[in-house]
Amino acid sequence: MYQFDMRRIKEYSFLGVICILSFLMIFPLFHIIFTVFADGIGTLVSTGPVFITGTLDEGGIGPAILGTIILAFFASLIGIPIAFAVGVYAYEYPHSVIGKATTALLEITQEFPTILVGLFVTQILVLPMGTYSAIAGAFALAIILMPYVAVYTKEAMSQIPFTFREAAFSIGVPKVKTVFLIIAPIAKRGILTGLLISVAKVAGETAPLLFTAGGLYQTYPDSLTQPVGAIPLLIYTLVQSPSPADHAMAWGASLVLLLIFLAAFIPLRLSIKEVRL
Amino acid sequence: MSKYAIEVENLNIYYGNNHVIKGINLKIPQKTVFAIMGPSGCGKSTMLRSFNRLLDLNKNARVTGSVRLFGRDIYAGDIDSVEVRREVGMVFQYPNPFPHLSIYDNIALGLKMNKLVKSAEELEGRIEWALKKAGLWEEVKHRLNDYPSGLSGGQRQRLVIARVIAMKPKVIMMDEPTANIDPVGSKKVEDLIFELKKDYTIVLVTHNPAQAARVSDYVAFIYLGELVETGETGKIFTAPGSKLTEKYLTGKLV
Repeated sequence: MYQFDMRRIKEYSFLGVICILSFLMIFPLFHIIFTVFADGIGTLVSTGPVFITGTLDEGGIGPAILGTIILAFFASLIGIPIAFAVGVYAYEYPHSVIGKATTALLEITQEFPTILVGLFVTQILVLPMGTYSAIAGAFALAIILMPYVAVYTKEAMSQIPFTFREAAFSIGVPKVKTVFLIIAPIAKRGILTGLLISVAKVAGETAPLLFTAGGLYQTYPDSLTQPVGAIPLLIYTLVQSPSPADHAMAWGASLVLLLIFLAAFIPLRLSIKEVRL
Repeated sequence: MSKYAIEVENLNIYYGNNHVIKGINLKIPQKTVFAIMGPSGCGKSTMLRSFNRLLDLNKNARVTGSVRLFGRDIYAGDIDSVEVRREVGMVFQYPNPFPHLSIYDNIALGLKMNKLVKSAEELEGRIEWALKKAGLWEEVKHRLNDYPSGLSGGQRQRLVIARVIAMKPKVIMMDEPTANIDPVGSKKVEDLIFELKKDYTIVLVTHNPAQAARVSDYVAFIYLGELVETGETGKIFTAPGSKLTEKYLTGKLV
């Protein structure tokens, strides 16, 4: 006979609450993806391949796509090597004064308002150079990128059990080589995932580019010292326009940004094999 | 040359203000199995790590007294700790072959790092020799390029032993080498210890008195950081000199 069971009722109601809350949390994410697809696909289909390759006058966002790629590439080139070294340092010397200061500073800079980074780069690069430029934009993005890469690197390496470090030392592997030949390769999945997330984050930034990269949509960029466009920046510009055609284009650009993100993220994430301990 | 592989004199180890090892004196004869036993947390592993300067990794640890390796004080100022670790190999409680390197490269790494072999042929020969010596060759000879994740716990531990042997150390230290592997794997490791003592001095840390009785020639009993008793295994197990040892051996000490 089925009995009135308080324990079971509690369990199911708790499970129910958890399910509802999880749904509420995930729902906006799927809603964003769905809306971007629904509203963007029309523009993409009706304009055709020109949307990807053409300039703004031709009805395309080609210069913005190239601009985003240039900015992300040079931001990575400037930021990743430095940030990786900082991450390794923070991992290797967590208790030293500089190590502690580094960790604290990284956490602060992660939360730093990105528009202030843009202003800073304006001061040190854009004003002296007298123009917006790809290099200024990339530099601003690199500053934002670095604390993320450093923190992810440090965290990924800290996850590796101490015993592998001991093992390396016990067979006479020097300290530097232990870090680069043992710990970092074992932690590679965590480190590379961190890189991906960081690059994806800065590729989607708008605020720091407003007064550094400038924007360029009528022609393709041909110099790093000249202004350059970016997809998020273009979306920002288009949305401010009163014309519905511009709004449709902004949706199309959003879809392209989302697709680039997914196309880069998913295969890379799947291809990095985890080192099985 | 001293007839002892390791001589420990008035060894004290501190972690910060915590006095972990208290004035221990030990003499470990060459080419024997010397077991260090005691309950968990008594400082055995810490002491073992002071014999190859692995304790240097721990910034809080401080060592006083002397540890002599074949007559040479390894804490003297002019000693290269990397060289000490090359002479004193170590096998760990958790079988820790490098997970991102193949079986072959696990053994090759230390040899290359320390430039112990001169040619590719010599490297290959040394790896085969070490795997044979560790009794693992037959099981892995067809899959030297596989990762160690495919090996059982016991096989991994023997791979670690091969990694150590390949360096041709004089002393092999084992920190509870069978604590994390199944009985069959443990038996193989114990048999191997028996085999290895012909060529090497083996220092075995164990919290299992039965294991010490099975494989060791000499034994030291450590309790709360102090040496209670040391001597020939047979003697200590049949006629312990201290009440504490007797209680430990009969399982009455918690």
